[in-house]
Amino acid sequence: MNIRCARPDDLMNMQHCNLLCLPENYQMKYYFYHGLSWPQLSYVAEDEKGQIVGYVLAKMEEDSEDNPHGHITSLAVKRSHRRLGLAQKLMDQAAKAMVECFKAKYVSLHVRKSNRAALNLYTNTLNFTISEVEPKYYADGEDAYAMKRDLDIKPAPQSTSEGS
Amino acid sequence: MPSSNPLPPKENSLFKRILKCYEHKQYKNGLKFAKQILSNPKFSEHGETLAMKGLTLNCLGRKEEAYEHVRRGLRNDLKSHVCWHVYGLLQRSDKKYDEAIKCYRNALKWEKDNIQILRDLSLLQIQMRDLEGYRDTRYQLFMLRPTQRASWIGFAMAYHLLKDYEMALKILDSFRKTLVTGTYDYEHSELLLYQNMVIQESGDLKEALNHLTECQTQICDRLSVEETFALLYLNLNKFQEAEAIIRNLLKRNPENTLYYPLLERALRVEKDEDKFNLLMELVKAEPKALAPRRLLLNYATGEKFIFEIDKYLKKGLRKGIPPLFVDIRGLYKDKHKTNIIENLVLGYARCLKTFGTFGSKGNLEHKEPPSALLWTYYFLAQHYDHFRKLDKALECINEAIDHTPTLIELFITKARIYKHAGDVYEAYRWVDEAQALDTADRYINSKCAKYMLRANMVKEAEEICSKFTREGVSAMENLNEMQCMWFQTECALAYKRLENWGEALKKCHEVDRHFSEIVEDQFDFHTYCMRKMTLRSYVGLLRLEDVLRSHKFFQKAASCAINVYLHLHDVPIKDQKHEEQMKLEDLAPSELKKLRNKQRKAQRKAELQQAELTAAAEKREQHNKSRQTANDQESDSIPQDELIPDKLARVSDPLEQAIKFLCPLQTLASNNVNTHLMAYEIYSRKGKPLLMLQSVKRAYKVDGNHPLVHEAVVRYSKKMLQWESEGNLPTSVSKVIAIQMEPILKGRTAFQINDEYLKKYYNSLPARLQAARVMYMLDNSKQREAIDLATNLESSLEGISIQNCIDVINSLKDGSFGKCDNELNEYKLKCHEKYPLAVDFFPPGAAKTPSIKLLLDRNETSTDHCIENSNSN
Repeated sequence: MNIRCARPDDLMNMQHCNLLCLPENYQMKYYFYHGLSWPQLSYVAEDEKGQIVGYVLAKMEEDSEDNPHGHITSLAVKRSHRRLGLAQKLMDQAAKAMVECFKAKYVSLHVRKSNRAALNLYTNTLNFTISEVEPKYYADGEDAYAMKRDLDIKPAPQSTSEGS
Repeated sequence: MPSSNPLPPKENSLFKRILKCYEHKQYKNGLKFAKQILSNPKFSEHGETLAMKGLTLNCLGRKEEAYEHVRRGLRNDLKSHVCWHVYGLLQRSDKKYDEAIKCYRNALKWEKDNIQILRDLSLLQIQMRDLEGYRDTRYQLFMLRPTQRASWIGFAMAYHLLKDYEMALKILDSFRKTLVTGTYDYEHSELLLYQNMVIQESGDLKEALNHLTECQTQICDRLSVEETFALLYLNLNKFQEAEAIIRNLLKRNPENTLYYPLLERALRVEKDEDKFNLLMELVKAEPKALAPRRLLLNYATGEKFIFEIDKYLKKGLRKGIPPLFVDIRGLYKDKHKTNIIENLVLGYARCLKTFGTFGSKGNLEHKEPPSALLWTYYFLAQHYDHFRKLDKALECINEAIDHTPTLIELFITKARIYKHAGDVYEAYRWVDEAQALDTADRYINSKCAKYMLRANMVKEAEEICSKFTREGVSAMENLNEMQCMWFQTECALAYKRLENWGEALKKCHEVDRHFSEIVEDQFDFHTYCMRKMTLRSYVGLLRLEDVLRSHKFFQKAASCAINVYLHLHDVPIKDQKHEEQMKLEDLAPSELKKLRNKQRKAQRKAELQQAELTAAAEKREQHNKSRQTANDQESDSIPQDELIPDKLARVSDPLEQAIKFLCPLQTLASNNVNTHLMAYEIYSRKGKPLLMLQSVKRAYKVDGNHPLVHEAVVRYSKKMLQWESEGNLPTSVSKVIAIQMEPILKGRTAFQINDEYLKKYYNSLPARLQAARVMYMLDNSKQREAIDLATNLESSLEGISIQNCIDVINSLKDGSFGKCDNELNEYKLKCHEKYPLAVDFFPPGAAKTPSIKLLLDRNETSTDHCIENSNSN
């Protein structure tokens, strides 16, 4: 598996991976928007054939110049490539770039209240904490947890498991 | 130049309000103000007001009225830049970019320094890749607004894209001199990296290194700085400097596998053994990293390989890492390594079963967790599946499922084994089982949908997908909106197999439209990126868009569409009905009745579907309407023509339609032999000798030994001889063909070519098939020999696979070997024996879905065999 910063020509394949893995999908233009606004922040994991098996699509929150912070729009690892710790590696690279390029103080994300696996990953492995509940955040009416991870302190503790 | 019909102050202020409303998307208000002007008889034909009214109407989706008003406005005021500009905007919104450019140019004739029009023109020029035009427009913008940042950037970029690096760099340098920057400035940092990119592309690596060294402290994108340094140092043979930087990069991200070859280059390590030692050292430096541990297996040999792979496999099996097999599959290129892995894992399985340990030393070793055996079976199943030893694969996966009946991965693998065995139904059944175990996981849901489509179950696939698509719209519609191309392409292929040509084409066109949309997506970024200064990525986007349709999603959909259109040319829809009628006359009354019943059912189903579709369309329309009334702000996108399957299938010019899909492939997938073979099929049907020649030559250049290319070469030369003898070829044309074909034919006759080809590839099934087809084509008396050649299934032959056997069957069916019903049935039986699970070879009368029980029985009688030693080659 190879983990590297995403290039414009990865974006279509990231969309493909997203459509396979996650219920929240976006049109290509939204991927372009990420890749062309914050080219340093999105990362991909690819297999030997160059197929994308995981990615993190990330951005900076644009409304907060005095308190710059990043946001994870989407994070996915194909089920066939779980338990390699790819999600954590992707997130760590994105977080580092957020600090270096945009002086991010923290990174935020949303997760479905019912998505226990993801919640477990973010809390236990990636060091995120729940900051609030956003009622009816998702199109189908489900609530979201808004989560945060501080970035001025050290990276998340090394852990090799990714939850399941 | 002012309008030839200026408005008095009151009306003029109203006119300005129309413009403001347009900018703020308050279209209804804009129309009100326009009405106020136009209702005054003195100004009822006022050109600019009519034009603006038209533009506003366009935004409300009233396209016809829009064109009418804008054209009328323009006629009334041909010297108004506003009217021309508006006409251009209207055409632009209709994606008639060439027309729009003409309009903008006319507008500029009357107002040559209008910034807005120049900007709009430059956008269209870059979108259409009129780079010279773009450069000229950017020059004008630069001269008019030299203080604006975007003026400089656009000006420089135009030269960069034209590969005039010197001029681009001069502009960028001068621009930088005008800048004052603080300590942290992301945009400035991006600008510097862009400048460095241009220097690198100019080929002056030394200068690029100087530039980067000089300004690296002002760049916040550390990763790009270090990666660029690494490459520059390497390419300038500054190996020591390169090494230091690359080691730093590896510390930063040891999972980037591209860094390792760079380090090898820096250290000038070439031998596998040295690479192995280097990687061992790196593993020690980064013990948590996956990449170096995996990579060293590529270079390890002999005892070292056995030691390392043993450690690697045990760790993965102990921890239960599902991707262990796909992770090491790359090593299977090496037969020796494959044998070692197989022996090791078979050994683990035996010992785990007996002692609960990986080794046979029994109690001396640590007991492994019980799951280790499970993961070992799982690994073996995938291993055997990889080599298509499907019986063993099934045995192993069944052992694993017996061990842990709830692990989803096992069912997915079981499904894959059945897929490889040619039983799409059983494959679907097992992946559906997996899906039922975790309905909240979209990955499995997607897999399930894909397997359903492979089994031609389109409706079911849509239904399964609907668990994850937005409520209120059909899954098909939502997946289309989300540009879910894998699904649409698989649908197209399923419809094609079902001979539902219209629906298949619809899906292919939907994929094509996604690509058009993604090309459109560029538009906003032309201005956006100059503001954001993310110029490197912007250039990356432009280059991506230039070759967008080389993406495999497009290639797949396009070749499906082309093949459907070829079929529709050969057997137009109307003729199909007629043919059916002919067949009916031959049928016995009882069979006729059965058939009629079937047809009635099919028709009813089709009607039902049509009704559903109409209902959905109505719902959509209403939805749109309600959106429109609730909100005055409509986007300026205009709905595309609806794709109607029946209309698509009854197209009058299928070959022209096929060419539309072919053209992007010819430029962007010219290294794919399939592109040229399809081109040949199209042009031979159009009877175009020179385009056929071009296709044959290109195909031959890509892969002269390809069986289908061989056949095309012979078919082509035979056809040309025939046309020549019939006097259908002008002498000049046949001369060209003779000269061009000579390097391929080398003075040989068709017979000789075929004999030589057959001799050379006597051991390959696909080559034999094509050679046999040619043999019969050239000489019908050789039917027996040709069929024997094609239908041989001796295990010594290469390329025996389900698909290749299906190809043989299709040739036996379609008359390529004349009439040969008996041979066809015999061959099918042979295939059935070879691939007992493959549904395509089921004898007539047997159910298409094999009995599950039968398979279970098979498995029960043969427990334990899967871990018996047997090497895979």
